[in-house]
Amino acid sequence: MAHSTSTTHSIPPSRSTECRADCIARLRQVALASLVLPALLLAPAARAREYLQVFVAQPYLELHTGPGRGYPVFHAVPRDAGVDVLFRRTEWFKVRTERGVEGWASQAEMLKTVLADGSPFVFSLGDRAGFTSHRGEMGLFAGAWGGANYVSGYASLSFNPQLALEGAVGQFLGRFSNGVTGDLGLTHVLVPEARASPFLMLGVGEVHTEPKATLVQATNRTESMAYVGGGVRIYLARRFFVRGEFKAHWILTKRNRNEEADEWKLGFAFFF
Amino acid sequence: METGIRILLLTALLAALPGCASVRDWFHQRAERRAAEAQRTEPRESEPPQDESAPPRVIEPEVSRRKITVPRIRSSNVELGLNYGALSIEDFGTNPVYGITAGYHITEDFFFQAEAGRSRGGRTSFETLGGNIQLLTESERRFTYYDLSLGYNFLPGEAFIGRGIAMTNAFYLLGGIGGTDFAGDTKFTVNFGAGYRIVPADWLAVHVTVQDRVFQSSLLGTTKLTNNLEARIGTTVFF
Repeated sequence: MAHSTSTTHSIPPSRSTECRADCIARLRQVALASLVLPALLLAPAARAREYLQVFVAQPYLELHTGPGRGYPVFHAVPRDAGVDVLFRRTEWFKVRTERGVEGWASQAEMLKTVLADGSPFVFSLGDRAGFTSHRGEMGLFAGAWGGANYVSGYASLSFNPQLALEGAVGQFLGRFSNGVTGDLGLTHVLVPEARASPFLMLGVGEVHTEPKATLVQATNRTESMAYVGGGVRIYLARRFFVRGEFKAHWILTKRNRNEEADEWKLGFAFFF
Repeated sequence: METGIRILLLTALLAALPGCASVRDWFHQRAERRAAEAQRTEPRESEPPQDESAPPRVIEPEVSRRKITVPRIRSSNVELGLNYGALSIEDFGTNPVYGITAGYHITEDFFFQAEAGRSRGGRTSFETLGGNIQLLTESERRFTYYDLSLGYNFLPGEAFIGRGIAMTNAFYLLGGIGGTDFAGDTKFTVNFGAGYRIVPADWLAVHVTVQDRVFQSSLLGTTKLTNNLEARIGTTVFF
């Protein structure tokens, strides 16, 4: 292929104009992306996606109009027919039959289906076994932090049934001061298979305190802290459990004496 | 008393931590998967060992096992959205409110919801009647709330538009705790309410929610529990 031999160039634009044109082009791209991206995100599952196909092994598979036992059954898939599993919401699977009928099948019904090789279709269930061994937890608590009202939430990531990395954030609202806390630590569950299993915690954190304006030394402060704690989690049903815990905090102040604060809380949590 | 508890907890923790070291199945999910794979490939490996004294096999089974890879099933339990409505701040009139919500559906019945919203307190009747009195500065009139709630779905059903369109819907109850920034202070706030959700598509929902936010206030002389009613409409997207 012949290359262009022309040596004439158009007058190069000045640096600032070039930059401006470049910036405008970039801005346009960003604006376009910000319009297109949500549209892409909002669009239902990508067409090209490969779905898992399962086969009905029971006499028939009932399809509901929505993901709940209260929504009516509108279709039944006969034995040996295949369905594509599109996605899952809580304990319900959205499936599509070979004829293109889409509906919701319950977890209990899906457990009775088989894969193409005849092996049972298995997936994570929200039950006692899941309570013993799961990937993560989330929950919210109400309680007291150094005598003030305390609202907090936590999330944890399990390495194994006994050891988990846990992060918590909270806000305390008291008569003399308000503030927020954040901490990160390890949790050791002593008897994970028990319905009521005790656990121990160790970690570090930060506390930001805003004293109420009426007090004399009313300066906001952020301090590091370390904690040790313990609690118990009690399995309720499905994915839920109750969790109560106590944390003893050492607040590492810049003053002469370190402070201590006790945190008591009780809340609901779920695992996934 | 605290020191005693601290020492007790520390001792218990020290005793328990070596237990972690003895746990073999670190990253148990991976271990489980490996076990499942091993189980699947097991039949191939379970052939009897070829012994020289044993008679040679007449028929060699030439069955190539199909290996099935199970594609991951997408979960769609998270709901994010925006809303707009009216908030009646006790003593400060009714004003527009806008906010964001994030929800996580745990089971078909229960969900967690985090909310944050912003509105503006108007003038109290005391200020209106008193002429040039200003109870709060402009920045103190800003009303910001945030909370974590637990929701319970009930009365699920279908709503019909005309003959051909049916949409699933449900009512829900909400209750939770959080904080409210108003009049230069943050107050511990309890909220409860109810809502209606209609789902036109699997990924989209429209909500109508009425919620009461209750907190203690002593702005107008006496300390009292204030009820701040909010009615809003919003849309959420499932992820």
